[in-house]
Amino acid sequence: MAATHYAIETVSLTKIFPDWWGRAKVVAVENLNLNIRYNEIYGFLGPNGSGKTTTIKMLLNLLHPTKGAGFVLGGTVGDPKVSARVGYLPEESYLYRYLTARETLDFYGRIFGLSSGVRKARIETLLEMVGLSGMRNRQIGTFSKGMARRIGLAQALINDPDLLILDEPTSGMDPMGTRQMKDLFVELVRRGKTILLCSHLLADVEDVCDRIGILYGGRMQLEGTVCELLQHKDEMQMRTGKLSDKALEQIEQIVSKEGGQLSVENPMEKLESFFIKIVAKARQEKQQTSGAEAGTGISGFLAEKAVVRPENILDDLVSVKMQEAVVPAQTVATETTESVAVSEVKSKEADHNLLDQLTRQESDRSITPSETEKITTQPSESKKPVVKKDILEDLLGDKRQTGSTEITRPDQTEDPSNA
Amino acid sequence: MHSIWAVARNTLAQTLRMKIAAVVVLLLLILLPLMSMVMGGDDTLLGKLQTFTSYGLGLISFLLCILTIAISTFTLSNDIKRKHIFLVITKPIRHWQLILGKLVAIVLLNVILLGIFSGILYAFVLLIPRMVDATEGEKLRAKAEFFTSRVGIKPSFDTELLSKRAKSHYDELEKAGQIPEQMSYARIIGELFGQEMLKAKKVDPGEVKQWEFENVRVKDPGDPNALLFVRYQYKVTVTPPDEKIYGMWKVGDLRQLKGGVKVKTPIYDVDRAEAIRVTREFAIPVAAIADDGTLGIAFYNNPALNRTTIIPEEFEVLYQTGGFTENFVRAVLMILVRLIFLSVLGISLTTWLSFPVAILVCVSVFFVGLTNGFILDAIDSLGATAGIIYSLTVKPLLWLLPQFDGDYNPNGYIVDGRTIRWTFLATTAIVTLFVKGLLMLFAGMLIFSRREVAKTVS
Repeated sequence: MAATHYAIETVSLTKIFPDWWGRAKVVAVENLNLNIRYNEIYGFLGPNGSGKTTTIKMLLNLLHPTKGAGFVLGGTVGDPKVSARVGYLPEESYLYRYLTARETLDFYGRIFGLSSGVRKARIETLLEMVGLSGMRNRQIGTFSKGMARRIGLAQALINDPDLLILDEPTSGMDPMGTRQMKDLFVELVRRGKTILLCSHLLADVEDVCDRIGILYGGRMQLEGTVCELLQHKDEMQMRTGKLSDKALEQIEQIVSKEGGQLSVENPMEKLESFFIKIVAKARQEKQQTSGAEAGTGISGFLAEKAVVRPENILDDLVSVKMQEAVVPAQTVATETTESVAVSEVKSKEADHNLLDQLTRQESDRSITPSETEKITTQPSESKKPVVKKDILEDLLGDKRQTGSTEITRPDQTEDPSNA
Repeated sequence: MHSIWAVARNTLAQTLRMKIAAVVVLLLLILLPLMSMVMGGDDTLLGKLQTFTSYGLGLISFLLCILTIAISTFTLSNDIKRKHIFLVITKPIRHWQLILGKLVAIVLLNVILLGIFSGILYAFVLLIPRMVDATEGEKLRAKAEFFTSRVGIKPSFDTELLSKRAKSHYDELEKAGQIPEQMSYARIIGELFGQEMLKAKKVDPGEVKQWEFENVRVKDPGDPNALLFVRYQYKVTVTPPDEKIYGMWKVGDLRQLKGGVKVKTPIYDVDRAEAIRVTREFAIPVAAIADDGTLGIAFYNNPALNRTTIIPEEFEVLYQTGGFTENFVRAVLMILVRLIFLSVLGISLTTWLSFPVAILVCVSVFFVGLTNGFILDAIDSLGATAGIIYSLTVKPLLWLLPQFDGDYNPNGYIVDGRTIRWTFLATTAIVTLFVKGLLMLFAGMLIFSRREVAKTVS
């Protein structure tokens, strides 16, 4: 095994597809040197044909490099010991259509050599987690694309992988599912996993990734943290409650004095947040649906090895229970949008109350001005809590109505309506 | 091991959902009972049993072979085509384990289906004598010639002596300048050898031909009802007007006919008139065999009754060595060897060929196997002129082809009540599976382990 400090490392990785005569026809990836650290979400971006999927396939031994080499989790590509620690979600559902959701997870669990008891427990919790517990005996062939993505993710997690390679994980998913999945990624990384995320949905990448790399023509064009790449260092954005015209005039004068220009607009709620609120309400009213249900929090077994942030009481609580590998998903549900919303209404159990309190405290902390300021100055550390805060705000009510003020620096890609 | 079993289970689930599997199962479920009712043969009990078993076993073998070819060429190629393999091969499983898992599933399916349908066939075979209105004689004949397991022994000839004679005959012809110019040496020698062989077999009018067989060990020598069978076919140099030969046979320990020897075992006389060019058979109690396992048979060409030289062809003595059931099991195992070989072939081919090409190759190989003797002889005669190139290239490839006809066809054994020896079965299995099959399997695994699974489908 090659010693490496990275979860994924490529050295001059090159893939050239030859024509029938063996002549170089397409240079899909060229001298790619990728260094993905442990315990981060790396966003792998690029237009169609830029070499993203080819790179992933080389990392999974589905393609052989023409030149260079790839190392995964410190081992060589294709080594079963390495494969045992990797979860892979391809860009489309390549699952066996005739198998049911439960049989699918059972099949992959068997390949990983999981014992019957562990397999059963994980299947149940994973199906709960991805919101398909009601469809456990339905064949995959009858699933919608979004449901297929959910079961695809579940199969990628069945072995409790250290590294997740996700190719377009949210494509075809509804906004609720997308949000849940993004929360899950953040949570997984918080619990020690590493994720290579390949997506065309830039907003998703921006929301969850620690670092991103942009590939074009098989070459890495740009790489860095999301804030490094997107933050406008020479602009500022202010958010307040309703102000009088007089106050606005005063602010404008101050800004003019500083040589700046002020633009004032009423912020609009994001459609995604609005949608999630409506669906959450419908679910609270227990309206019937034939589609996927809301997923629960992260499956407990996924936290078995992770003690990345020991100060987090939640992790300690979960990891103790997970040594048995049979903990129902609800008992470890923590920070996803749905679990918080539903638990506030329904759950009276002590565990949930504790989790709710913990979650609320965390979200409350994240919206204080001092904490927010910290976010802007230490972007890679604070990216994930921002997402959790948004979910809570969307579901628990708009914190702006309380009159609190926050100041953030606008990102390049932010919707102008929110400025 | 767990990953091989996981793949096997999944492949089994996949194949059971295939329509061709349902069609084959349905066809066999309908046709086997139907055949047991409608097939009559020559309207005797023996004929009915032989016809039903021959067609039944043939049908089971053929349909399962077709099913095996379809499944084995489909399962891996479909996984690659539909990219299911992306999610399997990226897990902790070796390429060879995937192939082995698929093979295990197909073999398992074959064992199950073959077990079920050969069991059904066996049950019908046992039921037919009860369902058919047969005479006691017919039942005895069926018992002696069908519900048995017999070994055939043939007289041996001193081929070295015959070759020497053929050679000296050739020298004589050469000296006399009578060698036809247009004929090759090998062909002339071949014909002269045939003539010598004919001379060794022929029985002129008034002549007695005697054969002696040693080490004839029957299953139950003390059984008064146990029989042995003498099988032959009369060929003649001049066809008699009634096309019949009046044969006079003596069967027993013929050493006793010499003076001064005390008679211990009976010697049986069989005199009968029979049509020429038709295989005939008569039965003699096994008491005719001497204690030391020697059996003598003499044929007298009575000049008062026949005016032609007689050549008893296909001469053979058959005697029981076991029961029908165990022989039937061996016949089924021979079919299983065939099915396993086809499974290996199909999977190995799809490691580098697409489904349509692989199934075409597989079906071709299957039919070549069914007519192997004829095709091999034809290619061999053509290739003989190519010399060493042929020997090094085509011949080894031809050797890899399976043999399903002639001695390798279990139907003939069961229909004639002939024993399939365990040694023969084991040799066939070793050559077909452990040599030819393993060679192909290793080649397939090697190719597959080096294959870029994602590239070939892109």
